[in-house]
Amino acid sequence: MIDCRSILLRPTAAGSVVSYLGLFLGWLAALVLLAGFFSFAFFQLDYSWNWDGVWVYREKFLDGWITTLWISAVSLLLSVGIGFLVALGRSSRIYFVGSLSALYVELIRGTPFLVQILIFFYIVADGYGISNRYVVGILVLSVFAGAYIAEIFRAGFESVSSSQRESARAVGFTQSQTLRYVVLPQALRQSLPPLSGQFASLIKDSSLLSIIAVSELTLNAQEVNSFTFSAFESFLPLAIGYLILTLPVSMFSRYLEARLKHPS
Amino acid sequence: MIKKLICFSLFAFFTSSLFGSSGGGPLRVGMELSYPPFEMTDESGNPDGVSVEIARALGDYLDRPVEIINTPFQGLIPALRTGKIDLILSSMTRTEERARAIDFSDPYLTTGLTLLVNSESDIDSIEGIDSDSTLAVKQGTTGHLYAVRNLPDSNILVLEKESAAVLEVVQGKADVFIYDQMSVFKHWQRNQDTTRAILDPFRKEYWAIGLRKGDDKLRSEVNQFLIAFKEKGGFDELGTEYLSEQKKAFKEMGYPFIF
Repeated sequence: MIDCRSILLRPTAAGSVVSYLGLFLGWLAALVLLAGFFSFAFFQLDYSWNWDGVWVYREKFLDGWITTLWISAVSLLLSVGIGFLVALGRSSRIYFVGSLSALYVELIRGTPFLVQILIFFYIVADGYGISNRYVVGILVLSVFAGAYIAEIFRAGFESVSSSQRESARAVGFTQSQTLRYVVLPQALRQSLPPLSGQFASLIKDSSLLSIIAVSELTLNAQEVNSFTFSAFESFLPLAIGYLILTLPVSMFSRYLEARLKHPS
Repeated sequence: MIKKLICFSLFAFFTSSLFGSSGGGPLRVGMELSYPPFEMTDESGNPDGVSVEIARALGDYLDRPVEIINTPFQGLIPALRTGKIDLILSSMTRTEERARAIDFSDPYLTTGLTLLVNSESDIDSIEGIDSDSTLAVKQGTTGHLYAVRNLPDSNILVLEKESAAVLEVVQGKADVFIYDQMSVFKHWQRNQDTTRAILDPFRKEYWAIGLRKGDDKLRSEVNQFLIAFKEKGGFDELGTEYLSEQKKAFKEMGYPFIF
């Protein structure tokens, strides 16, 4: 006889075993509820689906998806680098570095990404002679996401109390040792959850690069839509294409979080 | 059980009244208000332009109030097919592909595809475009479809905004922008130092009003209206009011005017 409560409810006491049957049934019920909610709406819709017309363009979707993948991957690495340096810069003792970092974060976070793309590509990049739209796209996306990541890192650094830094100095750590062995491990742990959300945003924000004709997933889906006049049939695969990229990112960060957790 | 039934029927009632298409109500006209002087907004943000005037005249003719629904060009055909609008009046070219998804009225305007060329490029006709050329097109337009179908080897830049496509040519990032005659004329006038216009259409195009497939009653009404409006001189008046500059320039260059 299986106890009903153990299937429905998560155990309260720490360390007790989670019911896998309960977990499975919980997921199943949630999925069925969502599927039911949307099925009702779809059955109400008086619309003749045209999947055949869109299937012809499957290679176009794949090409766009691959472009989105590598643009996002490169931008992700670059933006973490930018974010880290700027977060350090904001706590710098040199006035100029501090002001420059603050100015960068406020300007980027306070203006629309669309405007930044257009100004960078048609004015700044044109002025400095960078004509490759993919290079400009990656740079703009990294600079944009970098501002948000800098703030996430800054919050992480500030979560480490000053008494810890002082203690580290008291036991003879140099500044870089304090950063490496005391501040960074704790700051990183604090930063991970908001960081994974920011990465998912970055992947989705790459769709805005379509405005400068970077041939990524969204632009290709829109093109298929304009050839076939089948908006939903083009945009549903688009949503799935982004999910395939964002889900692993959030699952990986969940895994890292679990690994970095304090054994308390 | 009864409670559940009431709940469900209320839900069904609300959804059907929200999404159901109405018959005798206002005539819902879909257009993208970003193609002056055909579809645009005036200083206070109200719909204005040639197509808006045509829509209002159509409403008067049918004795129905007109509601202009601003919809991105990409969304017009889906909106029509799902019953969110009753007709499309948005400088839409009648094409075979579109005719598979929707019905069209008789054409009311004749134009064609032309080229806006960067002044340093040596392209002087559509035949001059080869695999080294970079083309700018506006997404979803007939120029886009033409390029994908007939010039697949050249480097095609697909842009969402007309202004961005012009900028690509002005800055020399693209060699040509494939677009309609009147717009190319307008952009060339504004950028005479950096661009040339090849205004002789390499392909003729006809604009028509888009209607839901099988909506034959409205289609015949629209066709009757177009004949009556032309006889009354309505199109000539709109040409003088909104396109006097083009009308004069086309006359000087010896091209027939669009209406």
